[in-house]
Amino acid sequence: MGMNDKKLKEFRQRERRKKLNHWFQNLLLTFFVLLFGFPIYWIFIGAFKEGGEFFSYPPIFWVSHFKFDNFIRALSLGGSKGTLDSLIVACIGTVLVVILALFAGYGLGRFKFGGPNLSFFVLSLLFAPPIIAVLPLFFIFKYLRIIDTYLALIWSYLLINLPFAIWLIKGFIEDLPEEIESAALVDGYSRFGAFRKVTFPLIIPGVVVSALFVFVFAWNEFLFALMFTRSNVRTLPIVLSELIGGHGIQWGELSALSLIAIIPGVILVVFFQKYLVRGLTFGAVKG
Amino acid sequence: MKEISTNVLIGKNNFAKRITLPSIIILVLTVVGPLGFLLYASFFDWSLAVPIPPRFAWFLNFGLVFKDARFWNAFKNTSVLMITGIIAQSILGLIIAFLLNRKFRFKKLAITILALPIMVTPVVLGFNWRIIFHEHYGPLNYIIRLLGGAGSSWIADPKLALFSIFLVDTWQWTPFVTLILLAGLQSIPHQIYEATDVDGATGWQTFWRITLPLLRPMFVLVILFRIIWIFKIFDPVYILTGGGPGITTETLSLYTYISWVKYWKVGYTSALALVQLVIMTIIATIFVRKVMQRRRA
Amino acid sequence: MRKVYLFILVTSLLLVFSCSMLVQGQTKFNDVTITAFCDAGHNALPFEWYADEFAKAGIKVNVVTAPFANIYEKLKSEFIAGTGAYDLIVLFPMYLGEFAGMGYLKPLDEYAEKYDPRLDDIAEGFLKLYDYYGGKLYTLPYDGDVLSLYFRKDLFNDETEKSNFKKMYNKELASPETWDEVLDVAEFFTRKSGETLAGKVLDSDFYGFAFLAQRGGFAYAWWLAEFASRGGKYFDQDMNPMINAEEGVIALQRLIDLLPYCPPDVLAYGYDELTNALILGRTAMCLQWPCNWKKGNDPTVSKIVGNLGVTHVPGVMKDGKLVYRAPMPCGRTLAVAKDSKNPEAAYYVAKLLSDDFSLADVSTPQTGLDPFRKSHFSNPGAFSGFAPEKEASEYLAAIDNNLTYGFPDLSLPGTAQYIDVLEVYLGKAYTKELSPKEALDATAKEWNSITDSLGKANQIKIYNELLVGWKEVGLID
Repeated sequence: MGMNDKKLKEFRQRERRKKLNHWFQNLLLTFFVLLFGFPIYWIFIGAFKEGGEFFSYPPIFWVSHFKFDNFIRALSLGGSKGTLDSLIVACIGTVLVVILALFAGYGLGRFKFGGPNLSFFVLSLLFAPPIIAVLPLFFIFKYLRIIDTYLALIWSYLLINLPFAIWLIKGFIEDLPEEIESAALVDGYSRFGAFRKVTFPLIIPGVVVSALFVFVFAWNEFLFALMFTRSNVRTLPIVLSELIGGHGIQWGELSALSLIAIIPGVILVVFFQKYLVRGLTFGAVKG
Repeated sequence: MKEISTNVLIGKNNFAKRITLPSIIILVLTVVGPLGFLLYASFFDWSLAVPIPPRFAWFLNFGLVFKDARFWNAFKNTSVLMITGIIAQSILGLIIAFLLNRKFRFKKLAITILALPIMVTPVVLGFNWRIIFHEHYGPLNYIIRLLGGAGSSWIADPKLALFSIFLVDTWQWTPFVTLILLAGLQSIPHQIYEATDVDGATGWQTFWRITLPLLRPMFVLVILFRIIWIFKIFDPVYILTGGGPGITTETLSLYTYISWVKYWKVGYTSALALVQLVIMTIIATIFVRKVMQRRRA
Repeated sequence: MRKVYLFILVTSLLLVFSCSMLVQGQTKFNDVTITAFCDAGHNALPFEWYADEFAKAGIKVNVVTAPFANIYEKLKSEFIAGTGAYDLIVLFPMYLGEFAGMGYLKPLDEYAEKYDPRLDDIAEGFLKLYDYYGGKLYTLPYDGDVLSLYFRKDLFNDETEKSNFKKMYNKELASPETWDEVLDVAEFFTRKSGETLAGKVLDSDFYGFAFLAQRGGFAYAWWLAEFASRGGKYFDQDMNPMINAEEGVIALQRLIDLLPYCPPDVLAYGYDELTNALILGRTAMCLQWPCNWKKGNDPTVSKIVGNLGVTHVPGVMKDGKLVYRAPMPCGRTLAVAKDSKNPEAAYYVAKLLSDDFSLADVSTPQTGLDPFRKSHFSNPGAFSGFAPEKEASEYLAAIDNNLTYGFPDLSLPGTAQYIDVLEVYLGKAYTKELSPKEALDATAKEWNSITDSLGKANQIKIYNELLVGWKEVGLID
């Protein structure tokens, strides 16, 4: 046996071990995916269950009939308005927040506008639990007569989401060396042009992540929606909690509407996955 | 090297002002009202449940907060959730991130499914897990019993209720931690690993000496988000246990909510809120410093 | 001739005109729109059903709903801010003292004289305790909640079980009359999987009793049952708490003694879980709201159709007589907001719902509304959609009886606070963190500080207004 044969044997052994590792890792990952996916699956099958099937022993782990009654009922019980209103509030809110945060983040990150104090002020807002603002905002909105309007919700969501988005984008911008913009300026671009052509494309992952978070937050927010709306505006979380009545919970419709509520999140994750992962570095890692 | 004229420099400040100011103005305007109200109200003995006008009371409310056994209980519960959450989610998140940081089929599908828990409306989470945790009809106990275990009462058992909340919380946020850590892992250039391979380092050594330190900023972020979130988490706890049995699962946010809109103790709750803000700002400062340190290094 | 034609034309025109005036005069209100507030779900349906009837009276009703668990803060925030957003409000009687006492609601006496809601037809307990405050009428009933004892008739009638019970306890097996008997019967019926029950082998554990223990779901009412039967009161006339008197401790100890005979997760039981425990066949008895009977007779969700018995709440023997008081947790009443711009129209809608349409509303499976009028109780035929008339009569008699000996929710400013503290300490006693006496003493201590922080004089005043109604129904002498 020569050196080559021995090397070949070692090589094959290593390859086999790698394959085993790979296979084992896949198994472990599948286990985790199943673990985290199970409660979602439970909602999924719940959407097709009826009445007594929710409390059966042994529990029913599959869909026995693909009937869409629950979905139809859920939509007619306010689900369609809930989806529409949530879409309006979340989309407009996200666009507003992202645009404002883009500029503010740039100003804070690149130009250190306001110095460290302003940055810290913005950051500390991140920590405030929204509940404490509920009552004062209620009075303010009542005075401005905007209770039960889209404006009230969009504005209050701005308050909560802007700090986060600003902080995120600021982080990304701070990571970009100033030189690239200086180069653009030398080339004759305006400040804004430089931002648009050079900076922005490089921070898209951060923009995507902040847009995603802001959207999901506005989509799922309950407390402000509860206090600031009555009947003109009804977002999905309100419609969902109304299915939890004093005399019984409409489990089927609740599950069905919950599924509908997850769809935008799923779409966003599927389409923006590559940006998502990169964007989650929050500009903290030098690329 | 920088051939930028003074005109441009002046323009720089104007530009900065113009683009940043709108957001800041909106923020300040929206914050000033509530914050001012809180600061004002916390100095008054003021309850909206009765028609008694507010009475100026100096620091009475703040004293009451620190003497309030229920506040400390809520603080303890919240802290326990925070710390156990950080540990569990970091470890679990790291494992899954490593598993994801390879090439394999269905990677996109795996990430999509794993991202779902973050998307579920918290109100729905509460009710869904209530069925899952159900002692008799719930799938969790059923599976446990199939595997030979005894099953338990979860949210009804005072010893397990907080743990149940911890489970739900971990289920919801580990994917988030995973994605952050995955992002961190993916941004470590391959050259580093190749270099360590050449140096003959083992897997473990590489992990401890190279990977973990490089991931430090991500862990700082994880902890930061954890803290932010644990002070905000409300819906699932409210629906799963309502703070019970007794007050074993009453968190700070739940207690604040109850004190605010069920008791209408405006003065006291304002003080309670401010105390929480101070605690969190202190934590924020510590972490900002840490991140700043990392950056400069 | 032309003059004649002119005369005929004018007269007929006048005739047509006056006829239309007459017809217009039939609508009581002139195209008024009111906003009604109700908790979401089934109980808001009647507002939609009778939209045409309301329109006939010239009223359009916009319904605003909110999740059941958040009704209090929604209403309170609107009242405090004085938004005037709601005209007609469906509220829980436990808020009456606070809302009426704070002047948010409009007294309805003058309207009741104009449009008679047949007050004498309303069960007296409900009327005096939940509709009147300080001698004035503030609300009309909408949903008559009261706790009753539900039990499995088939198990209690089974011959084997009866003879076994006689052997073990030296008494006849029957639905328990007193709380001592509840304990015995609950112990008797608690079996493990594999043992026999009424001739069948059990495939899962079976329990004798179940109650609602989750904080925030009116859990205090289950403790209240024995406490009130023993003569307990929330406060005395000077707002000194009386819940930690001997009656309270016994009542709390009783529930702790019953815990081994209840499902193991009973401490997390809310409305849904409690109902399911009985109608899915896992317990022999429970204390529950009236809608439990409706659900128990619904074959799509119940496994015990036809076997559901309902009777008065257990009581205690006092001087050889059986005395019992049934808690009336939750319930719904209709009130008019003080700053409503159309109070009379709002009242009129309330009257229609509380009187004219109430029988249909309480006897349909589509709502969770429960009977509260004598004319409901004397009409078992209307409930035959659920069960044969004989069973419906039994059910109605039990509800009527329990309402007659009803014990009201606490209805003061700060009720939410008093009750939350009570439930926290009840929970601590259930989990054996504190003894019953310690728990109730701690509750009393906190109740005192709550009263002080809300202004003791004002609380005493409002509480004594409530006691006026209590005296009238014989709750206090």
